[in-house]
Amino acid sequence: MTPRFALHWFHLALLRGASLLAPAHLRAEWWQEWHAELWHVCRARAPLCGAWWPAEREVTAFCLGAIRDAVCLRRESRTPPAPAKSLHASAAQCIGWLAALLALSFLLALVLPGVRAQREQLRYRINPGLLLIERPQSDEDQARAVQTSEFRAWKARQQRYFDAFAFYHTVRERVWTDTGTRPRWNVAHASANLFAMLGVPLRFAALDEGSEMPSVILSCDAFEREFGGNPRVAGNIIRMGAHDARIAGVAPCGAWTLPGAVDAWLLEPDGAMDADAAGYVVAHLTEAGRAEMEGGGAIITAFRPHGNEDDYVGIPVEGESRGPRDLYLFAALLAILALPAVTSVSMGESGFNPHRPSWKKRFSRWGFLCAKIALLLPIAYYVPLDLAYWHAMAYPYAPEYLQLIATFAIGLFGMRWALLDQRRRCPVCLRCVTHPAHVGSASRTFLDWSGTELICTGGHTLLHVPGLPTSWFGSERWLYLDNSWDFLFLGSSEG
Amino acid sequence: MAQHATPEPKLSHTAAMILQAINAGYIYGFSIMEMTGLPSGTVYPAMRRLERDTLIRSQWERQSIADAEQRPPRKYYKLTPAGRSTLEASRRRYPLLERLIPSEEARSV
Repeated sequence: MTPRFALHWFHLALLRGASLLAPAHLRAEWWQEWHAELWHVCRARAPLCGAWWPAEREVTAFCLGAIRDAVCLRRESRTPPAPAKSLHASAAQCIGWLAALLALSFLLALVLPGVRAQREQLRYRINPGLLLIERPQSDEDQARAVQTSEFRAWKARQQRYFDAFAFYHTVRERVWTDTGTRPRWNVAHASANLFAMLGVPLRFAALDEGSEMPSVILSCDAFEREFGGNPRVAGNIIRMGAHDARIAGVAPCGAWTLPGAVDAWLLEPDGAMDADAAGYVVAHLTEAGRAEMEGGGAIITAFRPHGNEDDYVGIPVEGESRGPRDLYLFAALLAILALPAVTSVSMGESGFNPHRPSWKKRFSRWGFLCAKIALLLPIAYYVPLDLAYWHAMAYPYAPEYLQLIATFAIGLFGMRWALLDQRRRCPVCLRCVTHPAHVGSASRTFLDWSGTELICTGGHTLLHVPGLPTSWFGSERWLYLDNSWDFLFLGSSEG
Repeated sequence: MAQHATPEPKLSHTAAMILQAINAGYIYGFSIMEMTGLPSGTVYPAMRRLERDTLIRSQWERQSIADAEQRPPRKYYKLTPAGRSTLEASRRRYPLLERLIPSEEARSV
């Protein structure tokens, strides 16, 4: 093989290698053109006599140029990526954040046990006209409980204000379950009619009226903890202290609102209860009793069997609690009423402005404000609910106070933010105006304008905020930019 | 602030030389290289950009002609109307352009 022949193959290989850099769909044509050009270059540079080396060097230089051409062709044939529409400071980003916060608070409300219990409690409304009777508490150490003997005496007598009584007292007892565990539970020994009086429906009810064996109602927690939520345990027999008892059902979560944390209720005939036990009496009011008990609790005077009289306190079992929904509505109403005190409720549009945006733009602006408020209102419900009920608090009304305060604060400052944010958004594209620049200088006579200018990154508007409001320039004004500004905003997203 | 209604295209000197060479009758890559003295790595990419900007257009020679002359077919380039007007503007910008690469009419005079 002669050197010239070898160099020819080298040049062809160089071109073939360079062709690999060209885009695949243009490679054939690219190769055809360079191959043809190489033929002409070789012909033009063919030495007529002797010195072939400079000619071949020129041909090689020509072939090396093909590499650069192929690279350029590849770079230029690449489709430029479409400019990503920036969400920064846009209305969609704002709505997205609010929606995410709402979704998070809603999910937490679904998951947190305290909130779930509160929700369940609302589902099961206790029968109206019930009173919890206990002794008045004169000092911290004095027990509030009522003796079983007292309960029996009241029940035996003809009553004007009450037509039914139930009693329960709580004892800590060891329990033998058929799962093999022997936990110690807080067992409430209760009258057989307790749940019927309360009106709480039982889950997996398996009551056996004919059986002489006492029935036991499991709490929601004990049912989940000891029996893994298995509904087949209804009807099984377990041993509680000295008694065998049949599981007659499960109390719904959050349905128990009376004093005492209870794992199970052992329903017994009144005669079977310990005569010396101290517990609580639940009484059902007659019509006359309800008329007397207007306005909540009452002092009840009861006569003892031997003629003495004692005072007791009757507390409505329904409780004074208004429920999270009522509290929310009350706090939200307060927040709306207080809103004008913390911010101006105008939208910041000056009447001096001759430019009127189109109906579509105005509609979308108002729609955006409504969407923000529509998302804020449920946030102001769920976030305080999560805060108030995420764990049990020592003070009984603490969750309600906390919910009330949090709802008011979130409602008030949330709506204040919604209005302030709205006034800082370009009326055309609803993006936040940015790049604040101080313009002008303070004037002693207030005749020179001085303030801050903010610009819409989409190139639609300028917002003038006066540094010192005057009678002729008291509020913010929008300046709509004309087409001469377009060159500054090439490539910015459309509004 | 006013914008220019039709911005005048501004070519580099290299691109203007290539346009002038094509206008002068050097209508394929190697001949343009020869005329302008530019290397292949400059001329061919520049011609692709001019074609992309529709200042020139290319056309393959008929195979029969190439076969008759026993050589591979060439790719010929030609100015478009936009290329011609751009060349006019470039000549005003680079007055020596016509002296460097005289057009066919100038050569024949």
